[in-house]
Amino acid sequence: MKGIPEFSEHRLSNGLRILIGEVHSLPMITYQVHFAAGSRYERPGITGITHLFEHMMFKGTHEVGPEEFSRIIQTNGGTLNAFTTTDNTSYYENLPADRLELAARLEADRLQNLRLTDESLETEREVVRSERKLRSVNSPFGLLIEQLYALAYEQHSYRWPVVGWDYDLKNLNLEDCREYYRIHYAPNNAVVAIVGDTRTDEAFKTVEKYYGHIPSQPQPGLTITPEKPQRGEKRAVFKKVSQVSVFFAAFHIPGINHPDLIPLQILCVALSTGRSSRFFEKFEKPGKAVEVQAEMGYPPFFSMDPGLLQIYAIASPSTSIDGLEKEVWEEVENLRRQPLPGEEMKKVKKQARAYFLQGLQTLFFKGLLAGLYQVRAGDFRAMYSLMDRYESVTAEDVSRVAQKYLRPENRTVVTLQPVTQKEHEDLGEVE
Amino acid sequence: MKSGVQSRAFTLPKIHSSLLKNGLNVYAVSWPELPLVSLHLILPCGAEADPQGREGLADLSSEMLTRGTQQRSALQLAAEVDGLGALFSASSGWNGSSVYISGLSDDLERLLALLLEIYTRPAFSPEEFEQAKQRRIGQLVQQKDESQIIADERFQQILFQGTSYAHPVYGTLDSLPKLLIEEIREFHRENFLLPGSFMVFVGDLQPEKCFRWVEENFPSIIPRKTPEGVFSPPSLSGIKTRIIDRPDLTQSQIRLGHVGISHSHPDYIPFEVMNYILGGGGFSSRLMKRVRSELGYTYGINSSLEPRRYPGPFTISTFTPTDKTFPCIQEIFSVLQSFLEEGAADQEREEAVNFFTGSYPRKFETLSQIAQRIIQANLHGLGLEYLSAYPERVAGVSGEKIFRTARQIIHPQDMLAVVVGRAESFRRQFESLGPVEIVQ
Repeated sequence: MKGIPEFSEHRLSNGLRILIGEVHSLPMITYQVHFAAGSRYERPGITGITHLFEHMMFKGTHEVGPEEFSRIIQTNGGTLNAFTTTDNTSYYENLPADRLELAARLEADRLQNLRLTDESLETEREVVRSERKLRSVNSPFGLLIEQLYALAYEQHSYRWPVVGWDYDLKNLNLEDCREYYRIHYAPNNAVVAIVGDTRTDEAFKTVEKYYGHIPSQPQPGLTITPEKPQRGEKRAVFKKVSQVSVFFAAFHIPGINHPDLIPLQILCVALSTGRSSRFFEKFEKPGKAVEVQAEMGYPPFFSMDPGLLQIYAIASPSTSIDGLEKEVWEEVENLRRQPLPGEEMKKVKKQARAYFLQGLQTLFFKGLLAGLYQVRAGDFRAMYSLMDRYESVTAEDVSRVAQKYLRPENRTVVTLQPVTQKEHEDLGEVE
Repeated sequence: MKSGVQSRAFTLPKIHSSLLKNGLNVYAVSWPELPLVSLHLILPCGAEADPQGREGLADLSSEMLTRGTQQRSALQLAAEVDGLGALFSASSGWNGSSVYISGLSDDLERLLALLLEIYTRPAFSPEEFEQAKQRRIGQLVQQKDESQIIADERFQQILFQGTSYAHPVYGTLDSLPKLLIEEIREFHRENFLLPGSFMVFVGDLQPEKCFRWVEENFPSIIPRKTPEGVFSPPSLSGIKTRIIDRPDLTQSQIRLGHVGISHSHPDYIPFEVMNYILGGGGFSSRLMKRVRSELGYTYGINSSLEPRRYPGPFTISTFTPTDKTFPCIQEIFSVLQSFLEEGAADQEREEAVNFFTGSYPRKFETLSQIAQRIIQANLHGLGLEYLSAYPERVAGVSGEKIFRTARQIIHPQDMLAVVVGRAESFRRQFESLGPVEIVQ
């Protein structure tokens, strides 16, 4: 389809998978390395190690000094970063096309020769704890969402946050990091995705030159405990200083390879995408709510294992959160009872397809699609059929998935209850 | 002296432009990579025109364009836009307002017709106005929980006191309830297709066809005199600290800086190169190296100068656990001081130049990015040649120029510090720098 290049797939003898897509619109490339390493592979006691380790990957090798990696890429006209999710850790460089070799050389170097020291661990531990404060502890709803996951999941590792619990972050040691590096950072646990103004054969040879000799490692063979079906609504209250009342709800839904995900995404579009969506029209436009959203991620960010479809609402100052929640569930109930009318169905399908197309404008996103579909779904080719899958969804499909997944018994709700500063203090330190 | 990473075969996308008979300047870029188009109407009148006590007028007027036309109710309009799978917004920045619509190129004519209808025949319904206002007030109440937003807003409010940059574009909890629908109507009428209004179209389209369509369908610009703004922010003397007390926070948000220079200032590009070395260049910057990588005080720190028609804020932004708040500020001052004394090393200069020249093509990757480059060059009075000359001008910035620019523009002895956090934990330490005021 227009927008996604034909990727060619290569495999080195050490197990490294390489996906290359040629796009010649700008003299740029994106070079991405995706590891099958996410917080789902952690265990209690070392939560947050995946993300902390992502930071450690910038602390230098025997040849490249601490943070030198970033400086070298930037001085070559590149931008770079990395991110950790529940299912993958990804590193990327967006560079002028003729600097592909530089990216391959540096990425291969830190895959084999990372220098892990107590000193760099101590600094990065504090940096990550500051990041945790930014994103969770001091953000308006961060702790609320942590509680939602902790309540919705009882057994699966999705129940702790990617950034980890602060107690665990304080206690991680260098040996934990070394062990994590050895197990997860191996060529047979990685996918290299290259997209841009390059020639496939040349790009492949470059990657082979720098990665070919790196030995594979035995597969980790970790047990990921599956979540058992939920058998009744779960609720919790979270108290904090806040100007607004809010609820966050979550419904268990299947993982990335399940065919129900696309109708579920269409359902989310109908509920809250655009100013003609049901939630906007009913709650946001008349000022009952500051925001009401239904979301479950989008391709390629669907979770590997059964994930959550979240519905959250931020009440306007004059609206009661209990009343708002009741009305939101009535709106969801409507969707379960009656199929979307033909015109609405046509609209939401076109929205889903058009927004997907909008995302395809960058080389970076094209690389993510290929790399993450490979890591999370086991086959990058699944991305080619996305447009057709949006197109083939029927109103009956949407109705069916609404009935199957948006049941009260499958629901977890956490409500934010605003308290005064005094009450806040009486509850003890947040962390 | 000149250097820079030369991107292989990068040429700026061809920008077609035409001054039409109706007085509108239209810029069009044919970029058929995907079957998408991005259409922008720009009015040279933004939040800087908000009258005192009526903050948010420009932006709310823009938003009201999205809430129905004389032909279509708000819901019908939304259904039409969503039915095309289009993205749609109208908003104001400091120096201009825009109406934007983007969708599939097959729908180009319908998208153009919608753009025309939305701008020239808005409904401005009182009921929709009340809803928009109440929703905005609700969002502002919620923002009181966002320490980053509080820090940004307070910083600019104090820095630009008495000027049109002192309020949030969005309006305030004081001003919004007072705004009337009549004022929205009048604002739209008074600023309707002001001289200097222009359009930018980018995507899978034919420029000539677009020009013809606009000429045949859009009304004419009415020549009239536009008032010249006066901009004189208060001058800072010494280090002044304002603490917004939030005892519930475990980490402080910090903003430090002063008024910078305008986008059209001849030293803007040297300042960009200089700022990359100081705090704009991520892990390559001195602030990041010292405060994050060596000390671990924060997850992120940067310095920035916002490009605006009048001088925008030069801001060092970071956040740090409560007990590191003052040590963090001290380290920032120490980095500033040594930078101003030593200037940049040759290698630092070269790295900064290489970054800007090498990454320049990526600023033209998406339709919106291409459009934004054209819009900014126009609104800030830079001219389109700025876009093609940029890499060479960056490459021409010498080490000496960086040194002089830093010393001329950055004044660590006269700065405003805004901190959102637990005042009691660090108030006394800040008093050693200068006057401290604590607000709730």
